[in-house]
Amino acid sequence: MWKFIVRRLLVTFPQIVLLSILVFVMAQFMPGDALTGQVDPNVSPEIKQQIRERLGLNNPWYVQYTDWIGGAVTGDFGQSFRFKMPVTDLIEQRIYNTFWLSLVTLIFMYIIAVPLGIISGRYNDTWLDQTITGYTYLGFATPLFIFALVMLWIFGYQFGWFPTSGSVAPGLSPGSWDYVWSKFQHLLLPALSMALIGTVSTVQYLRSEIVDTKQRDFIITARAKGASESRVYNRHILRNSVLPIAAFFGWEITGLISGTIFIERIFGYPGMGALFLESVLMRDYSVVTALVLLFGVAAILGALLSDIILSIVDPRIRIK
Amino acid sequence: MALLEVRDLKVHFPIKGGILNRTVGHIKAVDGVNFSIEQGKTYGLVGESGSGKSTTGKAIIGLEQITEGQVIFNGEDITSIKNKTKDIRKDIQMIFQDPYSSLNPRKRVLDIIAEPLRNYEKLTKNEEKQRVYELLELVGLTPESIWKFPHQFSGGQRQRIGVARAIALKPKLIIADEPVSALDVSVQAQVLNFMQDIQKELGLTYLFISHDLGVVKHMCDEIAIMYRGRYVEQGTKDDIFENPQHIYTKRLIAAIPDVNPRNRDKHYVFRQEVKKEYEQAYDEYFDAEGLAFGLKDISDTHRVALPERG
Amino acid sequence: MEAKDMNVDSQVLKSESPSGLRILWRELVKDKLALFSLIFLILITAFVFGISWILNQDEIVRVDLFAINEPPSDEFILGTDYGGRDVFGQLIIGTRNSLTIGFLVTLFSGIIGIVFGVVSGYFGGHIDNIMMRILDFFFILPFIMLVIVFVSLVPSYNTFTFSLIMTLFSWMGIARLIRSKALQEKELDYAKASKTLGSSDISIIFKQVLPNITSLIIVTMTLNLAANIGLESGLSFLGFGLPENTPSLGTLLSYATNPQTLEHRWWIWMPAALLILLLMLAVRNVGEALRRATDARQRRG
Repeated sequence: MWKFIVRRLLVTFPQIVLLSILVFVMAQFMPGDALTGQVDPNVSPEIKQQIRERLGLNNPWYVQYTDWIGGAVTGDFGQSFRFKMPVTDLIEQRIYNTFWLSLVTLIFMYIIAVPLGIISGRYNDTWLDQTITGYTYLGFATPLFIFALVMLWIFGYQFGWFPTSGSVAPGLSPGSWDYVWSKFQHLLLPALSMALIGTVSTVQYLRSEIVDTKQRDFIITARAKGASESRVYNRHILRNSVLPIAAFFGWEITGLISGTIFIERIFGYPGMGALFLESVLMRDYSVVTALVLLFGVAAILGALLSDIILSIVDPRIRIK
Repeated sequence: MALLEVRDLKVHFPIKGGILNRTVGHIKAVDGVNFSIEQGKTYGLVGESGSGKSTTGKAIIGLEQITEGQVIFNGEDITSIKNKTKDIRKDIQMIFQDPYSSLNPRKRVLDIIAEPLRNYEKLTKNEEKQRVYELLELVGLTPESIWKFPHQFSGGQRQRIGVARAIALKPKLIIADEPVSALDVSVQAQVLNFMQDIQKELGLTYLFISHDLGVVKHMCDEIAIMYRGRYVEQGTKDDIFENPQHIYTKRLIAAIPDVNPRNRDKHYVFRQEVKKEYEQAYDEYFDAEGLAFGLKDISDTHRVALPERG
Repeated sequence: MEAKDMNVDSQVLKSESPSGLRILWRELVKDKLALFSLIFLILITAFVFGISWILNQDEIVRVDLFAINEPPSDEFILGTDYGGRDVFGQLIIGTRNSLTIGFLVTLFSGIIGIVFGVVSGYFGGHIDNIMMRILDFFFILPFIMLVIVFVSLVPSYNTFTFSLIMTLFSWMGIARLIRSKALQEKELDYAKASKTLGSSDISIIFKQVLPNITSLIIVTMTLNLAANIGLESGLSFLGFGLPENTPSLGTLLSYATNPQTLEHRWWIWMPAALLILLLMLAVRNVGEALRRATDARQRRG
């Protein structure tokens, strides 16, 4: 197992480096540089040139890259020209919202997936299974943003059960019980929308895994030996089928990232996804660069984590 | 001069391991094999599965990388893939073991048999079709077959298609890798006889790879027994069947079923004796790793891996 | 001989390829839902492409300030949007654009994915190893973000270049699938036989191995088409699809990010939402039926 983990880590490092280079190259194509928005447009070109020289903007690309990556590692992503503040501070304001949104979504996903998957797999081809399979079929075909819009329209506007925008009701003091409750209320509908769509692949995985395991020889043997049905399920089938999905959350991160971009836009939720969209529209490229890098690293680390957990839970994949 | 000469052929597969996936060891699939085949003869290579007999055949034709040694065909060194010029590759063809997977299921018989022709000869559509008809006739299939797909044929017929494809370029040497072991016993003899017929007709040379000594006895002029990548015994058909020297060969021959039911009991006793001898003498005939020793000449044609005594 | 030849030729039609295509078709026709979906798709495609020949796109996207946000009426079957543009006309042109991009992206990513996968799987070894690391890397990238950044960086683009940008980050799934299949196929004797018969690697890959994985390719590409239609409309929804004067289905939905529109003017976004849903469902129905057909265990008869 250690061998697998070390080997997997060896792949991760170049991935992060490659990502950073990709983002850096992308940043080079973006109009403007660190000076944009910082200096009065009326400053003469000579002085601009001097500042450029001082900031190292005339250095060869690899020096610039090292400077940039050095800054990024220490948490310095430069200045946002729109907000006139360090990108790091800007992201810090938003990162908690997105973190909570993603976490609650993940929790919902598991709460939905595990029972539905188990029921569907255990009682396959009953009407219950057919209903669940119907849901996953529809869930696969429905784009997240349409589903979220409809959810907002029905439960936010028509029924008025949920707040329709923002991350917290205005006027509440942070730390109070009301504040936390309001935050949770604002989270609920976006997280639920994302989870209901995002979870269908896990439900399907669980179902087919259980249906598959059911017909394996060792299960038939267990039955033949007289093990009770519940024992067969709890001791044999579920252990084989449910544990691997514990490792899925890391891979979900890539999905969650694109999910938050849509969800935060639709629900007017002030997180990193919304920040990303605003920054692209406003051409606030230092923020865009930082966000792509951050999300990319998060996805890479998530996949790493999942692979490692899976290798612990499910020794089969280690053989490779 | 021999048509094919193989000198000290070695094919080793690396075993990968460790964190960086480095080579940590080798599986010696073929470990120092020497033989030569005369034009027009059939040379049998016998062994259990995993003995390296198929790998030997595949190494000669270039499907496996040769680690060490030399392969000389018609006086030319064709050890490295680079030296296998188009002309030489044309002269060596192969018949595969599994007639089901060796024919592309999506191709019509015409395309299957014409594939080598298209690679080597510039023929018009009509000439090509004509040649395929001739080949089909040669292997005893009806002309309508050319529009059919492999799944429309039986195993024996499929193997005939495989043979037709192998002889399409009029090769000098055919490597037949267990050509009948996937077929019903009833069809085996049919295909074997037919292979002998076209051998006479076209002057072919066979390298005949099989695990079945009975089949080899029927087909081959010279026979070699392989065990774990090395030769155990090599000689003419008579040398091997009338005068086996190595206990492994003896045991293989004893295992051939006797056709005569009256001898069954006698045969059984004989087999038990051989088995006993084999178990007792195993350490003597194989080295510490369980591999055969080097070959020693017993007669002009007969070579056996006998232990170094004294 | 001449007569015999012709006789043989006339039998060409009698023996059928065992190839997937025919089986796929047979299964598709047997599955009523899938057949219905296919007919629906063909009709919709024919309809939107046919109508948009006649429709004047400039007229539809021209802003008319005297007819803003009108509910459905005789003049405008599905009402108008905030710029007074006819929603029904936009729906037709949007469907056409969404379908076109969906088809193009599926085609491009299919070609790249197939070539990448089959080469990686066929050659194996170090080549495969390196190519798979590249693929893993692309797989892990935040697709939506990168497309958005690319779109915002490229100064001007059209349907074609937009499809290329999407393709850049969406060829990996099919590549991985094809690769694992090619890995299996090349181990079969027919591929080895081709080698001994003097065929080059390229010819073995494309003439021998590829025909054996066509059904897999068709199934995957159908399912990808559904995904790509969804992705394209999603990007347009965020405002990073085609510009507003070339509407897509997502453009109509993006008007719903205005709470007023979402709450009170259902006619602007609801039809587009339904249409996307129906299109994706229909394509998936066809794709799933095809998938069942390739899997002999699940065939319906």
